Amino acid sequence: MIAMNDLRKQFSSGRGRKARTVLAVDGLTLQARDGAITGLLGPNGAGKTTSLRMLVGLVTPDSGSVVVDGIDMRTDPQAVRARLGVLSDARGLYPRLSARENIVYHGRLHGVPADEAQARCEHLARLLEMESLLDRRTEGFSQGERMKTALARALVHDPANIVLDEPTNGLDVVATRALRAALRVLRDETGKCIVFSTHIMQEVERLCDRVVVVAHGRHVAEGSVASLCELAGCADFEDAFVRLAFSPEAAPR
Amino acid sequence: MNSLRAMWTVFAKELKDALRDRRTLMVVFVTSVALGPLVLVMLSALIDKFERRAEAREIVAVGMAGAPTLRNFLERQTYVIKPAPTDWEARLRDSKLGDPVVIVGADFEDQLAHGQPARIQLVYSSANASAQRGVGRIERLLQAFDQEQATLRLVARGVAPGLLGVSAVDEHDIADNAARAAQLTNLLPYFVLMAVVYGALNAALDTTAGERERGSLEPLLATPAARGALVVGKWGAVFSVGLLIAVLACVSFIPAQGLLRNESLAALFRFGWVEAAWFIGLLAPLAAALSALMMAIAIRCKTTKEAQANNMVLTLAVSLMPLAGMFNQEGESAWNFWVPAMAQTTLMNRVLKGAPIGLADVAPSLAVCAALTVLALTFVSRQLARRAIQ
Repeated sequence: MIAMNDLRKQFSSGRGRKARTVLAVDGLTLQARDGAITGLLGPNGAGKTTSLRMLVGLVTPDSGSVVVDGIDMRTDPQAVRARLGVLSDARGLYPRLSARENIVYHGRLHGVPADEAQARCEHLARLLEMESLLDRRTEGFSQGERMKTALARALVHDPANIVLDEPTNGLDVVATRALRAALRVLRDETGKCIVFSTHIMQEVERLCDRVVVVAHGRHVAEGSVASLCELAGCADFEDAFVRLAFSPEAAPR
Repeated sequence: MNSLRAMWTVFAKELKDALRDRRTLMVVFVTSVALGPLVLVMLSALIDKFERRAEAREIVAVGMAGAPTLRNFLERQTYVIKPAPTDWEARLRDSKLGDPVVIVGADFEDQLAHGQPARIQLVYSSANASAQRGVGRIERLLQAFDQEQATLRLVARGVAPGLLGVSAVDEHDIADNAARAAQLTNLLPYFVLMAVVYGALNAALDTTAGERERGSLEPLLATPAARGALVVGKWGAVFSVGLLIAVLACVSFIPAQGLLRNESLAALFRFGWVEAAWFIGLLAPLAAALSALMMAIAIRCKTTKEAQANNMVLTLAVSLMPLAGMFNQEGESAWNFWVPAMAQTTLMNRVLKGAPIGLADVAPSLAVCAALTVLALTFVSRQLARRAIQ
């Protein structure tokens, strides 16, 4: 269960005359249930990555709160991080370590005992169909192989909540399908709370139980794909999204 | 407890990662570990050449046939007179002839007999180091000839030769063997100091700017591990690699001694396990401070390339410190012990001279290094989150 309440974040850069402020997130609210996939859909620069970084605690919000499974980020950030599995936009692996070593390293940092981390690693490798990769060094992995390793690394401590930032970026159709299948298994068989951000319609249509549309850092609309189409008065989801995200009401204040 | 475990996990991972970077380690090994002994061996070969020339007791001369008195004197001093090659001037200029050339005039004997100053020319090139070294020796020899002739003339006139000796100079060299050897071995601290820098550099860059460049820092910070624990773990690994290279560099001088070609240098240069242990003990705090400083410089950079360029300033500063000591002819000053790298160089030179080292000599550099380490690591852990997302 993830709750982001009225999050606000402003970035400032430069000094004196060159000083500029950018309102990256402007009052974003999002509730994500357990056993469901919640999509954060918005155009480029809508503040998706900043919102997810606030959720993980890498960026401190100017106002608003993040509550994960009833724990407030401000009071116990480490406990919140322990309950989150994060596949961020940056998916760097250590090239001189094998996929297994990369995954177990993060498990250990999450406080998972060594043998348990190994067992989780094997389990996730079966789920993500990457058993043959486990003992290879990650140097020279393809995009799909990297994504699988990074996802396994994010899930090694069996978190109740999973956060993915544009997970299908740079993946081919086979890898995308594999990812979708894995996310469905995680939702249906283990009842995880999954939040992912994207700007790709098909991802949302095929996967999300609930969609939050954001534009210019603001919450524009939310609901299931069907209800959003109805709200916008369009049969096609893409048209509905364009109408919602680029409407005059969604324009920057 | 949790932080301790995270620290250990990061330390073990970073150390494994650094030791797997075989190619870099190989380069570091060749440039910093093997280079020192190699230079030492080359230096000994050079000294050997000089000493051999001095021991050879040879004089290269032109026109010696016309000066039997001088010839007789030189031969009594057990010198061998070698005629100069015809192109001696060119050879002397090109450093192909390693001895100065003595030119005796054709009327040398005649002038001597008539009590006139007999002309002798001593030709050398100050650009020819080997020939230059021989000048003093030959000058002393010619002076002795002068002295002998003058004494003979005085005796012939019934004057006591003792009257000519206005003063008697006795020379005493108070440097002991170790101190004399230290003149040659003051290069050593330079090599081990640079070994620490180059040993730690790659790991320092890889654990900071490298993490940013790869995009692995953000996922790392999404784990519940405390930032301070991450930084200390990383620093521990960087420090260990730097110290490992330093240990290898110090220990490598012990077998290298067996390769010294020059016997007197080999006898003077005593670098055993005790000296190596002193070196390592002195270098450890410096390795700690330099590792932390390099990480602090690198965390601000987006790529390892940029971090490498920025760290050049630090590398340069450290490499200049031993040179500053060499140029400083005034001996040790109190402030030397407060400057990192310079303090270690000064103290290592003391070890080589066999001079005593007290706690008061070590304490300032220890305090400075500890303070630098703490400051730099605090800076890194503050920067970590900010830099992860930039």
